[in-house]
Amino acid sequence: MNDKDTQNEQLESILRRAHVPEPSPELKERITSEATKAWNQTSPELPWQIPVRRLLVSAAAAVFVIWLANCSSDYALARWQSGGLPVAHQKPLDLDELPEIHYGPLARHLVSTGRKPSITNASALRNHAETVLRILNEAQQNGVSKPPAPVEGRSRLFPTRPGFNSYS
Amino acid sequence: MDKILPDNMLQAALARNDPAAVELIWDRYAGDLLAYLQAVLCSRHDAEDVLQTVFVRIIRKRHRLAKARRLDAYVYRIARNEAFRLISRRKKGRTIETVNESWLIVPEGSNKSNDMAEELQAILARLPQPQREVIVMKIYRQKTFLEISRLLGLSQNTIASRYRYGMERLRTLLENLTL
Repeated sequence: MNDKDTQNEQLESILRRAHVPEPSPELKERITSEATKAWNQTSPELPWQIPVRRLLVSAAAAVFVIWLANCSSDYALARWQSGGLPVAHQKPLDLDELPEIHYGPLARHLVSTGRKPSITNASALRNHAETVLRILNEAQQNGVSKPPAPVEGRSRLFPTRPGFNSYS
Repeated sequence: MDKILPDNMLQAALARNDPAAVELIWDRYAGDLLAYLQAVLCSRHDAEDVLQTVFVRIIRKRHRLAKARRLDAYVYRIARNEAFRLISRRKKGRTIETVNESWLIVPEGSNKSNDMAEELQAILARLPQPQREVIVMKIYRQKTFLEISRLLGLSQNTIASRYRYGMERLRTLLENLTL
């Protein structure tokens, strides 16, 4: 550490052989005259003006941001109303047009099912209900008895097992 | 040197809007600021130009300076910003490169002393700017680490480590020069 300090002192003494010159009188004359000119040109800025100016700038910036947001939303709304943007519902795809697209059969199926309109088909629903009824009837005929009527105050959802409440 | 006023009296003159404050600011800061700017820019000519801009800016902002908590740090901040503005303009090629005038002087007027000044200047110019400015302020303006840290708004440890690394680098550069 002492060795380093000595080396630093030696280096400092080498550096101190030179010095940075002081500003010349000509430079002083030039700069002070420019500064005095600037002093006379600029009106004294009153202390209360600074926060007021900052407030005005902030308010102007806020108004600009709000105006920009309004413009943006108006533009988006106008595009949506004129039908420029895609809407949620779409026509079902014509499957005859699909072979032109390079999809496999699974992709075609997925596309066709995915694009199917969500319209309830009454006859299909009726068929489904009939099928369910038929299955229920068959199950009844095969010996599945009706569930016992619920005891007063007891839920039908829980099955009654023997000895379930025997501890009480 | 006796005329140099403390910062609070300078601030009082600025607050009174007294034009004599220009001269007082000059006496208080011109020497230190010129050395600092030369350390940052490595050019006497550029440093003088930037010093003029700094003074004009100080005058325009005189009411803010009158209320500044630390006048010296504020003044150095202006000088630093102006110096970096010039450097960035140089990088973008918007200003003409000036001839690097000598910014270090060796008192003896011989040719040998001129050579030495140029060598020292060249070696200092090879240091990173943050290390160079600390070394110049410490060695050529006799500032303490505490004073430099307050002026530059950095911790005293940072200043000390910049000085130490800078001196190590200088030593290596000087050894290479003498070998």
